[in-house]
Amino acid sequence: MKDVIPDRKKIAPFLLFYILSTMQVGVGILGYQNFVSQFAGYDAWISVILSGLFIMGILYLIFKMLEIADGDLLDIHTYIFGRKLSKILTSIFILYYCLIVITIIRNYIEMVQVWMFPIIQVFWLALTILIMCIYIVKSGFRTIVGICFFSFLLPFVIAPVFLFTLPYADFSNMLPIMDHSIVDIIRGVKGMMFTITGFEMILFFYPFIKDPRTSRKWGYFSILATIILYLYLIVLTFAYFPPDQLVKNIWPTLTMWKIIRFPFIERFEYIGIAAWLLIILPNVCLSLWIASRLCKRIFKVSQKGSLYFIVLVCLVATSFLLTREQVTFVTDIAGQMSFYFIFVYIPFLFIATLIAKKVRNHGKGS
Amino acid sequence: MSFFKKNNSQNLSIQEVFLKSEDFKQIQFVNEKTNKPFTLTYFSTLIDEKIFQENILSYLQNREFHTFEDIKKILPIQEVELIDDNKKLEEKLLNGDILLTFEAFKDEVLSIPCKKEYTRSMSVPEVEFSVVGPKEAFVESINQNINLIRKRLPIKELIIKEYEVGKLSKTRVAVLHIEGLTNEEDVKTIRQRIENIDFDHLNDSSYIEQIIADNTNSPFPQFLDTERPDRVTSILAQGKIAVLVDGSPHALIAPTTLVEFFGAFEDYFLNWMISSFFRLLRLFAVTFSILVTPMYVAVLTYHYEIIPQDLIGILVASRRQIPFPPILEVLILETTIELLREAGARLPTKVGQTIGIVGGIVIGTASVEAGLTSNVLLIFIALAALASFTTPVYKIGNTIRLMRFPFIILADIWGLLGIAIAFCVLLTHLLRLTSLGRPYLEPIYPLRISDFKDSIIRLPFYKQSKRPLYSRTNNVNRFSSNEAQKKKDIDE
Repeated sequence: MKDVIPDRKKIAPFLLFYILSTMQVGVGILGYQNFVSQFAGYDAWISVILSGLFIMGILYLIFKMLEIADGDLLDIHTYIFGRKLSKILTSIFILYYCLIVITIIRNYIEMVQVWMFPIIQVFWLALTILIMCIYIVKSGFRTIVGICFFSFLLPFVIAPVFLFTLPYADFSNMLPIMDHSIVDIIRGVKGMMFTITGFEMILFFYPFIKDPRTSRKWGYFSILATIILYLYLIVLTFAYFPPDQLVKNIWPTLTMWKIIRFPFIERFEYIGIAAWLLIILPNVCLSLWIASRLCKRIFKVSQKGSLYFIVLVCLVATSFLLTREQVTFVTDIAGQMSFYFIFVYIPFLFIATLIAKKVRNHGKGS
Repeated sequence: MSFFKKNNSQNLSIQEVFLKSEDFKQIQFVNEKTNKPFTLTYFSTLIDEKIFQENILSYLQNREFHTFEDIKKILPIQEVELIDDNKKLEEKLLNGDILLTFEAFKDEVLSIPCKKEYTRSMSVPEVEFSVVGPKEAFVESINQNINLIRKRLPIKELIIKEYEVGKLSKTRVAVLHIEGLTNEEDVKTIRQRIENIDFDHLNDSSYIEQIIADNTNSPFPQFLDTERPDRVTSILAQGKIAVLVDGSPHALIAPTTLVEFFGAFEDYFLNWMISSFFRLLRLFAVTFSILVTPMYVAVLTYHYEIIPQDLIGILVASRRQIPFPPILEVLILETTIELLREAGARLPTKVGQTIGIVGGIVIGTASVEAGLTSNVLLIFIALAALASFTTPVYKIGNTIRLMRFPFIILADIWGLLGIAIAFCVLLTHLLRLTSLGRPYLEPIYPLRISDFKDSIIRLPFYKQSKRPLYSRTNNVNRFSSNEAQKKKDIDE
């Protein structure tokens, strides 16, 4: 069942830093401020920090599980539930990652439609992006990681540009601190979830890391880096927008870009949106890679064939989401699923793993 | 009289094939001392007449000889040998040897080397010219090229392994590396690839490059080619491998990276700050050259808003009279520039210059005045063309000019988004590329900070105590960095 990955296909441990950072920065970063402040108001920056802490905890659980089961999620499932049940359970994740692909691509296209090309056809753009993804995924895991690296650089290069908003910033917007109840702040964390998910993908590519133990610290560093980025951005957003105005913006980050001016460029957000393609690309590619690899491992079909099939399904599904309401609906579902996956299923799985380990050790001991 | 042994399977004896050529000579002479006849066989076009007359024929006619040993003693020529193998005889004959048949040795033939080699005299490097530094360039003769390299690397560790490649051309190919420095695995790979070449006729080192490259379907060159012996030696000293081909004034170097193509060898002759500035300038030039016209198309077709108000005024004014959409305008001018370049490259230098002036100035000005193209675009196109010529390696310059066109077309379809798509595809392609199995985008990805010292920038020599990680050498240290650091300490 377990397949051994040759050393030359593995990646260096520190690359985990880039992969996880990239996975956590996606379309979400352009509009997460609203989701978070919906409940927590201008105390939402506390939610951002809290969500970072939560995620580090979850990542710890994931690393522990992976160590016990020695493999990926399929191996964990097999470890706990046995072969048959594990296959059924894991195949749900194929659908989950298809949904993630659809959500990311459709949200990106929605943004393009609103800001740049109102008449662009969803189908053609989705087709182009997906063909590009096939090209990348077919080149293998190492190329995906390469794309992750460049995608990682981009937001951190762009981040200083937001300092252009400082002359218009009013940091007293955020006062008084702790205006909201703990429950509201926790609900803000929930709002943060869809944006910040992605780190759980390590459940699937963990066997591809050369020296998994040393890679852990890079995993935690990556969460630290992204949380700092999110915190930096949300503080600037809260300083820039008065509360009433923020609610009316679907993509506050993009609106902030509008203030940026160079002698030769106005409306910086146009370049930003185009460049954001590079940021969603690794997310889509890695999701496709995971889905197709799961197909290969569960159904014993070729990864290439299943990749084509999954892409086709995603393309059709994406083209059918036409209105803004539908897009929001699907995004909400995906967000909910991510939330339950990470905060309910993973802790449950962790406990189950511990029990399974106890039982096995007990069996061995007697 | 035939000295080739008859082979039953062959209908036509080898001799008969040779006799069809008129420069094939087989002449009988008589030794004046012994009065015994002997026959000389040779190609008159391949041998050196002077050596033949003065050093061979006169001795053979006037001195007494009876055996092979006698001849060896009287002839003032090295490497005289007896051969009895048909294949080897054929080879020797075609290499400019003179074959001597004589009754004393019945089954064997004596071969006397008498090759005439025409070589061009060394000239100044024209493709990779540098104002300061050595002015040597390779020529077509592989012996002379190896001589140039050996002169700069007088060490026994410089290993040269030769191959004969090409069924018809029988081209000599030499693989050079420094033992104990170069990664053995790499040497093995490149030797294996050259051994595996199955091709009829090789004219130049670029044939080899195109045959043994990691990805033959890529516009990006995966071997660095250079005409400078000094560059080859310095790269050999970094632990890389050079390939020389007879008849080619260009050496190939592998493994290489994309960044290496933007470093001129002159960078090492200048102060590190100046050369770093030049390298960054070239990198900027390349980015500019690829992106400026697609940006023009994208902005003027879709995103007027991006341009600040004062600037858009100039752009709109220049385009007011133009009947074409930006894409057509750009394609017309880009094609014109490419035509000019191509015509200039195919014509003799003096005519080429004229074409450049006529094309560049006359067509450019006229098309703007006629209202076919905007003058702003003309500036951009000319700048982009100029920028693409700043690349020190000719081959990458061509690649960059080709790269523009997919960008332009996608920019017309989806504006900035199209450019982003083209960029992502290009990035993926570069990520997939390898040179001799090593990543092509190094040191950017995989990120190796220590290798930046000699890539996009060039740090001073005392900082370069280590060879690049990239070539995975067996000996990392170029010199002791501690010594260098000590000398840089504050005066007491």
